[in-house]
Amino acid sequence: MAEGKLCNRKPINTEEELKELMADRGGRKYYEEMESLDVDQDALWSSIRKTFLSRLKTWIEICARCGMCADSCFFYLANDKDPTQVPSYKIQSTLGEIVRKKGKVDNEFMRMTMDTAWSKCTCCNRCAIYCPFGIDMGVMFSYVRGLCFSQGFVPWEMKIGSGMHRVYRAQMDVTTEDWVDTVEFEEEGIEDEYPGMKIPVDKENADILYTLNAREAKHYPEDISEAAILFNLAGENWTVPSEGWEETSLTMFAGDWEGCKMQVENVYDAMDRLKPKRMVVTECGHAYRATILEGPYWAGLKSGKTPIESIHYVEWVAEVLRSGKLKIDPSKKIKEPVTLQDSCNYIRNGGLREVTREIMSYLAEDFREMTPCKDHNFCCGGGGGLNGIGRYHKQRNAGLKVKRDQILATGAKFVIAPCHNCWDAIRDMEGIYKIGIKWSFLKPLLLDMAIIPDHFKPEEE
Amino acid sequence: MYQFVTGPLAWLAFGVFFIGLIVRTVLYIKGLNWKMDRVTYGVNTKYGVKGAFRSVISWILPFGTHGWRSHPVFTVITFVFHLSLLISAIFLPAHNYILKQKWGVSLITIPEAVGDIMAIAVMIAVVLFIIRRIALTEVRIITTAYDYLILLIAVAPFVTGFIAYHQFFDYELWVILHILSGELMLIAIPFTKLSHFVLFFLSRIQIGMDFGIKRGGMKNSGFVW
Amino acid sequence: MFKNILFATTVSPDCDDAASYAFDMAMKYNAKLYIYHVFGLPSHGYSRFVINVKTGEKETYSKEYDTLVKEEIADTYSELIDQYSNCEIDCTIGAPGTEILRKIKKEKIDAVIMGAHHQVEDAEAIRYRNVTGDTMQRVAKSAPCPVLIISRPFTKNLWNLRNILCGTDFSKASLAAFRFALKFAKVNKSKLHLFHAVDITGRQFGKVPTQSEIEELVNQARNRMEEIYLPEMDGYMKIETAVWEGIPYVEILKYAREQDIDLIAMAHHTGSIFHKKDILGSTIEEVVLRSLCPVASINRMNVLENYEGFLA
Repeated sequence: MAEGKLCNRKPINTEEELKELMADRGGRKYYEEMESLDVDQDALWSSIRKTFLSRLKTWIEICARCGMCADSCFFYLANDKDPTQVPSYKIQSTLGEIVRKKGKVDNEFMRMTMDTAWSKCTCCNRCAIYCPFGIDMGVMFSYVRGLCFSQGFVPWEMKIGSGMHRVYRAQMDVTTEDWVDTVEFEEEGIEDEYPGMKIPVDKENADILYTLNAREAKHYPEDISEAAILFNLAGENWTVPSEGWEETSLTMFAGDWEGCKMQVENVYDAMDRLKPKRMVVTECGHAYRATILEGPYWAGLKSGKTPIESIHYVEWVAEVLRSGKLKIDPSKKIKEPVTLQDSCNYIRNGGLREVTREIMSYLAEDFREMTPCKDHNFCCGGGGGLNGIGRYHKQRNAGLKVKRDQILATGAKFVIAPCHNCWDAIRDMEGIYKIGIKWSFLKPLLLDMAIIPDHFKPEEE
Repeated sequence: MYQFVTGPLAWLAFGVFFIGLIVRTVLYIKGLNWKMDRVTYGVNTKYGVKGAFRSVISWILPFGTHGWRSHPVFTVITFVFHLSLLISAIFLPAHNYILKQKWGVSLITIPEAVGDIMAIAVMIAVVLFIIRRIALTEVRIITTAYDYLILLIAVAPFVTGFIAYHQFFDYELWVILHILSGELMLIAIPFTKLSHFVLFFLSRIQIGMDFGIKRGGMKNSGFVW
Repeated sequence: MFKNILFATTVSPDCDDAASYAFDMAMKYNAKLYIYHVFGLPSHGYSRFVINVKTGEKETYSKEYDTLVKEEIADTYSELIDQYSNCEIDCTIGAPGTEILRKIKKEKIDAVIMGAHHQVEDAEAIRYRNVTGDTMQRVAKSAPCPVLIISRPFTKNLWNLRNILCGTDFSKASLAAFRFALKFAKVNKSKLHLFHAVDITGRQFGKVPTQSEIEELVNQARNRMEEIYLPEMDGYMKIETAVWEGIPYVEILKYAREQDIDLIAMAHHTGSIFHKKDILGSTIEEVVLRSLCPVASINRMNVLENYEGFLA
């Protein structure tokens, strides 16, 4: 059965394979090879028979085709109510067909399925809450992505992402040495600024184990400094692990379930090794979902919970502001109108709508909700890996319109986006549509507003 | 003929209906898998039950959810259709008369005029459903012949019953057609999309447990549907 | 005094003056010159696309592209390279500030030369990274070595350093700047001007200050200068002190012009890199953009501690 050199059914497990794939500029050769990649129909069907159980089966079968999901989907709204963007249509014309045809689908169909699964659905799960039967098309597209991945029909960047996790246990090529180096470098920087502040690595029995997003280590290490300063200001006993510090999972976006398991087990091992009381994860949405909500299931933990209690950064922030461990200078509260981007992955799918509002009550004087908001908020437009897939930039950019209009309607020109993907999507939105907004994570804002205790103030000479 | 359709055939129809639904329920529950569905049904079940309860209650109340509220017209038609269909099927005096005759039991009944209005409501609702399927592009694209067939199966007992009741044509014939179409619907329920008769609840309970246990139900005051 | 010099460039005309300065300096000290270009901003964490710093266009990153960029750099500076070949060209993708700092650490760099090219990378992607205004600020703030920022062409003989000015706000970072300036003055036998400007803008006082208040402050500053720097002077005699009042950056520039200053050394002390422009942070930025001579930003004590060059 024909497979390409770059585009094939085998996941990437070595650095050489990864480098070879990355050397293919823009994935040109990769996508070319994909056009002649054979579908292993037997494997596809046998995998469906094993994994397509009553929940999914029922969803595909009983869909009443009522169309109530249509305007729950931001892609449908952003594309002028294009009927091919109706969630039910999208899933029935892909997964529905594969099932009805018992896996007997061809290459062209699989490529269409791939395009649908990655460029027409960000797995934000909003349709699930507008379907009377509770049919969750986000969950199903996540399942479809798994089928696509196993057949080799996966966007180039996602294949690379999955390979990164398999090779480096991080979404980018950041090795353990790189990571520890970066931490030391940042520690020097903050010690200069705040005498005595540390970034403890591999400290055992800490109260907090902090894990983050590899891009912070790779490109924006100041994010690590900010987190470190805030933990120190709040007087936390915390640490970062030298191994198992990566919280994100492009493997989840890619549908590489085996890779997902490897990745989260790496983090859970760090928990076992360092025995911290809790884990706090950075301001990232999908990472929270991957490592904390879905991870335990990939790793087969029957409790459905991570080995130690794990909380999102916003929960930690709400906690320290509430308890007064971190004090905000009231005169520095945000005075201009400000709105909040609810990340699908930890608001709708993680239940954190209330703590985020609590934070806003401490930080902002004129907080404006988007409409809709909280559990019902729209995806930023860049979720599910879409931000990073070159093949679908056009579709992504079109999808941003919904969020743009939502932000404009609030009248606020400042968006707090405590999620890497949302942050990126909003930044790109400003780049494309130029609506004159600014945006920020929580950390820099908190640092601006925090009252620095005397013992951290630099000694003046 | 009348004896046959109200006798053995009715037994068969009800048998298929009840056994079919039980089988579907059992199969559904058996097919749930904590690891594949990524919901620990057996751990933190308390939260799951709470989530399931919210999920079902919110959706069986008219305008009880954002979804219903954002489609007000469709919501009214849907609820009128389902309530009329169920109430008139179960509480119509004529139906209970037969029940009494055959099995000696009877339920409370609604006035015949109300039943009549409900039949008309069901028929109008189905017409509106069909118009909606044709008129709205987002519904047209997902509509298949199967969906029309389901509507037909659902409305047939009401059309035939209405004709028979008002004796527009040959009463004997139309009453038999009415009974046959009713039995057809009963038999169709476990085998078609009409299985949502029970799967609606099971699916709603499942997604409710998902949100109640894994997707935040343990972190907030419950999902706002 | 300098063994490894890093020239961080955008390979655009903005950096031409900095380029000649960098080559000159490397020649003078017979140092190895690293020409370093961070050519692409990561558009997204895991995306393979980068924003080309020069064009603002989206590009796909690959090894060939890397080679292409290196060739372009070599081409741009070919005349200079012909004159001095002890240099190494390298490029990478990433957030420029972060990558330059990493390079400094990796190659044990003891002086960085940059153009004042902040507007270019404000282009597409990084524009609003709230945290760091621009590369210059981030590098100057955190670099463990002096950062020389060249924003305009200098016509006079660069290496005849007769007058060095050190601007101070009496902070710890300023002391590092002073120590560097003193060392440099000794080596070059130049005159060291120790300068402080009392900020009399409304921002400091909240109101227009009275003359006696200003005089009071000027006196205080003189006293502090003696207190802090006298013990540091180590017997070096070619020192002049001055305290002026006004808008700090204007006063520094005026003084520099009047005294024919060849190099300004200052701390890029902004309180915190996270806070937006604090007074001195903006002072050095203004000075950098307007100065007629190179400006060296020194911010950390270990500028003097970590590098052998300074111990010699």
